[in-house]
Amino acid sequence: MSTAAPAAQEPRSSGAGRVTFARVLRSEMIKTATVPSTVILLAVSFAVMVGLGALVAWGTVQLVNDPAAGPPGGLGASAQSLAYDIPASGLPFGQLLIAALAVVLIGSEYTTGMIRSTMVAVPTRTPALLAKTLVTAVISFILGVLAAFATYLAAQPILSGSDLDFGLDADGVLPSIINTGTVLALIAVMGVAIGALLRSTAGGVVTLVGALFVLPIITGLLSGLADWVVDAERFLPSSASAALVATRVQPEAFNQAEGGLILAGWAVVLLAAAVVVIKKRDV
Amino acid sequence: MIEAQSLSKRYGAKTAVDNVSFTVQPGKVTGFLGPNGAGKSTTMRMIVGLDRPTDGAVTVNGKPYPRHKAPLHEVGALLDAKAVHTKRSAYNHLRALAATHGISNKRVNDVIELTGLGPVAKRRVGGFSLGMGQRLGIAVALLGDPQTLIFDEPVNGLDPEGVLWVRNLAKGLAAEGRTVFLSSHLMSEMAVTADHLIVIGRGRIIADAPITEIIAGQDKIRTLVRTDQPEELRRELENRETTFTQLEPDLLEITGRDPRSIAEAALARQILIYELTPRQSSLEEAYMELTRDQVEYQSQAIDQPEAPVPAAEATLISGGGKSA
Repeated sequence: MSTAAPAAQEPRSSGAGRVTFARVLRSEMIKTATVPSTVILLAVSFAVMVGLGALVAWGTVQLVNDPAAGPPGGLGASAQSLAYDIPASGLPFGQLLIAALAVVLIGSEYTTGMIRSTMVAVPTRTPALLAKTLVTAVISFILGVLAAFATYLAAQPILSGSDLDFGLDADGVLPSIINTGTVLALIAVMGVAIGALLRSTAGGVVTLVGALFVLPIITGLLSGLADWVVDAERFLPSSASAALVATRVQPEAFNQAEGGLILAGWAVVLLAAAVVVIKKRDV
Repeated sequence: MIEAQSLSKRYGAKTAVDNVSFTVQPGKVTGFLGPNGAGKSTTMRMIVGLDRPTDGAVTVNGKPYPRHKAPLHEVGALLDAKAVHTKRSAYNHLRALAATHGISNKRVNDVIELTGLGPVAKRRVGGFSLGMGQRLGIAVALLGDPQTLIFDEPVNGLDPEGVLWVRNLAKGLAAEGRTVFLSSHLMSEMAVTADHLIVIGRGRIIADAPITEIIAGQDKIRTLVRTDQPEELRRELENRETTFTQLEPDLLEITGRDPRSIAEAALARQILIYELTPRQSSLEEAYMELTRDQVEYQSQAIDQPEAPVPAAEATLISGGGKSA
């Protein structure tokens, strides 16, 4: 019946319909915006980070007003520098939730089978993974900066009663606010990479949360055994994150730039591993 | 056009696809037929680059699928209806995939209309029936208006209207000069949809021919004969090439003799026959014949009770399955 077929149609898209990185990026933006978990996790992260920061501000004020609670001789000048750390104080919870969001964004593609549609549309695969990583990292960066800035704003009226309020130009405050975003962006990269490597939401979240929150506990317990444990502890993502948002460099800790490089190192190594693996693996 | 050369896929010790070579031509519907586990899906997954062949190669329009700059414009594939994020709506699913190729929202709406998804397009895919999932999969395949279409079991879960729609769609696409490659384990569906058939069993190609040839290839002529004297007719016709099956007390199925010679023999012996029906072997029978030894999961016959059964009844039981 269909033997007398007309000649094959001319290609209707002379280069216009090609896959480009910008288009894959757009696709990943649509995907990220059209699942409810993204919006929910972002809203929860913001609320928890700001809420926690306000709580820390209130706690700092209590500490200043009640000399008995603080170290002998009062907090003195250090009370002000403690206050400078408040904008980034919601970061641990932010890390937890962004780690979950990043792993879920890629892990759910594997658990639902969506990844096969993605990889048929982008069969070279790497652009799809990099685009998803970039979208997740940018969202996380914006969330981190906004949450830290909102925390800064929320903390000022609480702190002003004790004359602890400060401006954005105070020592290390602005870099700390921006680096809250940097930490979350790099955690997001690690999350997407681990999700792609493990192809599982639950496994990925457990792994990343373990690396961020359980490893420091273990190294803390083992630190008495050998000096190298203490050295190694400084290279953990958790220590690097803390160094990155610190408003003043702690003794024996890395400075902000070093912390940033270490955390970026973790992210790059994991992402490179993910690129190699998804390129080879059957989907 | 799809060309597979010595394509193999092994998972550990298990060989899913074993040194398979075939060509799927444009302008016709090519059916890919085989029992479950025969290697149909694995082959199709290798065509679109989801699985990497252990050996051999497969190209679409002259290039391996991942080398195409605009793959969705070359090949549209429905591989499994479940390749969708369940929390996303059908419309957003299509929009996200369209974005990778810069395909317009107008085209997204077009394929939604074309596949009849309009009323459910904004609903989450998680709540879709299997049939709606298949329609969404077909919508994705059509998104890039591709020259080559690959459908893995497209009629699974569709209602009769949907089955008819897929059948006409496949034929229509082929009539426009496109390459249509359609897998199924349903022979009856292939018989009415496909022009050409590639039969696969246990990872190997068993047959690759126009569908008419495959049906005609089963050259045993079978005839149904109804007579009051089946035993006498049987004695008259008996020779090495002829076999008899007693379907009912007065109904014989005779294989290996043409109707005319049966009628002549009956006339010569004055045996009254009141039905003489030539039976063309169906694709289903041809398929069963071809894949008899190739079925991976063979069902065992349920043991018959040992107790003696009256002869006439036994005949009825054993004939029951055949008379359909």
